[in-house]
Amino acid sequence: MTIFPEGGEPFFFPGGRTGCLLIHGFTGAPNEMRLLGEHLAACGFSVLGIRLSGHGTDMTDLLRAREQDWVASVEDGYHLLRGCTDHIVVLGLSMGGVLALHAGACLPVDGVVAMSAPYRTPHPLIQHMRPALPLLSLFWRYAKKSDSDLVDEAARETHVDYEAHPLRAVAELEDLVREMQASLPDVRIPVLLIHSRGDTTVPSDHVGLITNALGSKDIETVWLQSSGHVITRDVEQDRVFKACERFIHRVLEKAS
Amino acid sequence: MNRLMKGAEPFFFPGSSTGCLLVHGFTASPQEMRFLGGSLAAEGYTSLGIRLAGHGMTLKDMHRARWPDWLASVEDGYHMLQGICSHIAVIGFSQGGVLSLRLCAEAKVDALVTISTPYTLPPDPRLKLLRPILKPLSTLVPFLPKGTGGWVDPSLATERVAYDAYPLRSIVELDLLLADMRSHLHQVTAPILSIHSHRDDFVPPEHMSMIQSAVDSVEKRMAWVDESYHLIVCDVDRFLVLQHILSFLKEQVPDGS
Repeated sequence: MTIFPEGGEPFFFPGGRTGCLLIHGFTGAPNEMRLLGEHLAACGFSVLGIRLSGHGTDMTDLLRAREQDWVASVEDGYHLLRGCTDHIVVLGLSMGGVLALHAGACLPVDGVVAMSAPYRTPHPLIQHMRPALPLLSLFWRYAKKSDSDLVDEAARETHVDYEAHPLRAVAELEDLVREMQASLPDVRIPVLLIHSRGDTTVPSDHVGLITNALGSKDIETVWLQSSGHVITRDVEQDRVFKACERFIHRVLEKAS
Repeated sequence: MNRLMKGAEPFFFPGSSTGCLLVHGFTASPQEMRFLGGSLAAEGYTSLGIRLAGHGMTLKDMHRARWPDWLASVEDGYHMLQGICSHIAVIGFSQGGVLSLRLCAEAKVDALVTISTPYTLPPDPRLKLLRPILKPLSTLVPFLPKGTGGWVDPSLATERVAYDAYPLRSIVELDLLLADMRSHLHQVTAPILSIHSHRDDFVPPEHMSMIQSAVDSVEKRMAWVDESYHLIVCDVDRFLVLQHILSFLKEQVPDGS
């Protein structure tokens, strides 16, 4: 960025009257959605890759972010993209997928793509400890991240994210996931779920949990075999891009 | 559940390859810049009105925000516009002008417009007295109700989407932001137009020339309006403000619209 570190910039690619709203994951940055955005722009869509509040700047900024800031960031992106499009599909990775599903229930969008999205926070301890986390985070600010499961080494080198999980923000992630769970029955538009069997951050069974809770009748699932969690930048990224492209075309046919 | 106040949504109007980034003021929302944004779009410009972090939600959300969050919101808008426009003009009102100046100290823009923009905190003696204890005080008294008034035409106030109080903690942030802006003004080289009302009872009119003399721009313009108080982008002088901006843009970015 200009004032903030590089890789944290949101991106906007002009295109046709169909918009793709791209949402990155927890502690990540718009950079992890950029290649997907470039592919979708080449397909002729208008693409907006937002930056979630507290992300892409400094890790201490994430300490004071709350889940409503992230929901508001998504709403911001939706309203900006609405200014130049008639149809909008929301695509998110991991926590971005959680936000995309939530948007599918709360905003008038045409389709949702949730990639590597969790149904609940992967660690049961977080769920049980939720009420104590704000206090605990005063003493234990940052939880160490486990090693990246990105299989593509070049992508691992250039990945832009914070080096740890601010514990206070983990509590917000837990709240956001619960809010998403409650909103899943209200998602009635087409949904595409993409997940890798090799994802060590969010286990594969979360796909079934999301599918069962969704109010939508039109749910498509694409399975990857060898990627890690960040499937938009890993060895099968082209399959992800193509699956998203096909899904958006299908959603548009259905909408028109 | 939606988190934005109704009417506080950011806006984007596509147009020519010259994009206007509109930055609203302290405790307000993008709605404050909608008249300017819509009018600039009607003239052919692309316009994008961002929402500053913590604004247009709840007062508690603003209380939590820090000034780098606001600056990051402005930078977000700048990068988005960069993706679709080859020329960029940044237009900020009040604190939005402060943030615009801070952005232009580091970002390349074709034109900069600051409107009713302060150089320091308002010279309120109570504020001067309280400033050293404002941070601890804000935990006891988080919000200070706003008075009514400030409008020449109060009927225009009904459209306004803004908080009805000032978070004390955010005043500390505004002061920190102002200090950061002042230390970066010499890096601002973009052509600059400043607009202020002679009747501004919130930001003293002399702040306009203090900003103008501190920036390093070659092209400097000042324009006055006479009827409105501080809120010149929404009140009766808004058409005049628009005219000043349009002629400045035509001068700085020919064929821009």
